[in-house]
Amino acid sequence: MSNDGIDIEGGKTRMEVAYGAGDGDDEAKAIVASKEAELGTIFEQSYRPWDGELGPRWTRNYAIFRHHVYGMFRSTGHRHYHPMVRLTIFVILLFSLMPVLMLFLASLTGDGYMADVFSRMWGINRYNLWGQVLGYFPRNLCCWPLLTALVVGGMISDDRKNGTSAIYFSRPVTRLDYTAMKYLSVAVVLGFVIVLSYFIYYTSAIVFNGEGWAYLVDTLPMFAGGLIAGILVVITYTSIGLALSSISQSRFFAAIAFLSVIYGTKLLALLIETQFDTSILYVLSPYDCLAQIGQWLLGIDSNYNHPLAFSLVSIITINAACIALLAARVSSLEVTRE
Amino acid sequence: MGEEWDGKSVITARNLRKMYGPHLALDDVNLEIPSGAVGVLGPNGAGKSTLFKCLLGLITTTSGDGTVLGYDIRTEGDKIRSRIGYMPEYDALDPGLSAIDQVRYAGELLGMNPAHATRRAHEVLEYVGLKDQRYRKIETYSTGMKQAAKLACALVHDPDVLICDEPTNGLDQRAREFMLQTLRRTVSEGNRSVLMSSHVMDDVQEVCDRIVMIHNGKIVVQRRIEDLARQIEREIEISVWGGASRMQQELESRGFVVRRLGRVLRVDRADDSTSRKILEAAVSADVQVRQMQEYVPDLEDIFLLIMEKLGAEVRGTSDLMTAAHTGDDRDE
Repeated sequence: MSNDGIDIEGGKTRMEVAYGAGDGDDEAKAIVASKEAELGTIFEQSYRPWDGELGPRWTRNYAIFRHHVYGMFRSTGHRHYHPMVRLTIFVILLFSLMPVLMLFLASLTGDGYMADVFSRMWGINRYNLWGQVLGYFPRNLCCWPLLTALVVGGMISDDRKNGTSAIYFSRPVTRLDYTAMKYLSVAVVLGFVIVLSYFIYYTSAIVFNGEGWAYLVDTLPMFAGGLIAGILVVITYTSIGLALSSISQSRFFAAIAFLSVIYGTKLLALLIETQFDTSILYVLSPYDCLAQIGQWLLGIDSNYNHPLAFSLVSIITINAACIALLAARVSSLEVTRE
Repeated sequence: MGEEWDGKSVITARNLRKMYGPHLALDDVNLEIPSGAVGVLGPNGAGKSTLFKCLLGLITTTSGDGTVLGYDIRTEGDKIRSRIGYMPEYDALDPGLSAIDQVRYAGELLGMNPAHATRRAHEVLEYVGLKDQRYRKIETYSTGMKQAAKLACALVHDPDVLICDEPTNGLDQRAREFMLQTLRRTVSEGNRSVLMSSHVMDDVQEVCDRIVMIHNGKIVVQRRIEDLARQIEREIEISVWGGASRMQQELESRGFVVRRLGRVLRVDRADDSTSRKILEAAVSADVQVRQMQEYVPDLEDIFLLIMEKLGAEVRGTSDLMTAAHTGDDRDE
């Protein structure tokens, strides 16, 4: 057997080495070690330059937007949303489209008592349009806050937790671009469910009932009012959700905190109303402020005793405060370790 | 590149000063860093991170000016960050993504076309040794693989300057050697500049030919390592047996400057007769000299010597390390 693979110090034989059969004056230390195994070369490392062109600012911003929105539809390659999150969002979308199915069934019943019932329950009128974006349980009261909580959960808190803010800010991405694209991503996903379902609902009512231009002209102002209310819901929920996401390192915190803000303020105002017969505390509830503004936009009677201006001021204040908090927290995201 | 870039100095700074409220983080920093590999050294809180942030154009400087690749750090931060690859110290990776997606996304954030970014991600992941692991999720990676993935993210657009913050943090010997070899190759083969901060002097010495040392926000040294080593007074190192204190006293009484580390004494080498005089002192002091050799200072000695001269109490560079540096906080 060859000694090639063994590094023998002092030219000793294997036997001498193994049993220490030297002259006895050797240093008392291990003197033999097999040479470090030659590791198989699995690749030849070579530096390859790249001489491509970097795109302008919008391409970087679009990359952020796409990363967050595509992740909702694709399981790999973009931001990871848990399958249960995606499934829940899909169920919420189906829920929001439920009136479309009812309108379809109503269109099959023809004229008569049932058609009248269906029309009042799901047909296009001020109350139903308001209900589609703001009103009825469980669509608005449960689904929209749940949808927002699921979407905003890790939007910024994940960057804080994983340190991935460095990926953005060590590149030519400004904090304004970062915040704006995150905001836009959340707003688009919420808008996709809230506003798009509203569009589909309105359009399908016209198609299923074979309505004409006169009907369209007649109902368009109502529809526009509901649309503005829907956009306000998207903006307000996005502001609150992202602000909460930016102050923590936990998806769970952001989601639960959002639900707590929406339901907590509503519940508190409800208790005060029950005890003291005043609706003034609803100005603290983002949902109720939006609901009152929506009622005004769609021209239906308000459920609240306090003036509409209070809700308007409250919504503006809530949005401004949340965006200020969001900006402050994004400014504090670090590139280097502190 | 910046219009005024002369192609010689990759980074320049003139009287750069940064204050956080009343705290002075950078104090009149003057830098002239040529292309190549440069180590940035300094104790914790010395101002290394603040310097990096200034160079990346992420924070506004209180006064002074500077350029990176000819771009003004005060007004052209986005252009600087387009041409720089930054490898942060801590994990800056999305655990839910695979390495290929993470690196592709890092490229897209620079403005790379998605197809180009994907192709380039394959190339750089092969370069950093993750070719076979590139489709695995980052959450399943070891610390060494995460460091390599971070390096790939920094290299995806073939930057002119690579800034690495503690690139060997928590790596085992083999991964560390590979990381250092990759950085060396990036300099030698890729002809890129590397600015590397580390508390492990051996790592800096292995990759860099030049160092910048920061202490209390000031640049205290910026020179080639070779030149610094040459400047340090030569010493003769002796190991004595029995009576090391006696030997130290004897040598000092004969006018030698002695540094003692247990039974190892280092004596300033005045001339060729120093060895003989040491042996004479040993005879007088009645101690055995077991070993005597000329001592060649390494970067750690240089660092400690400079820190000692500055009055900083650092016994060894291991004092500067945290659990993150040594890998004790690994979650694997």
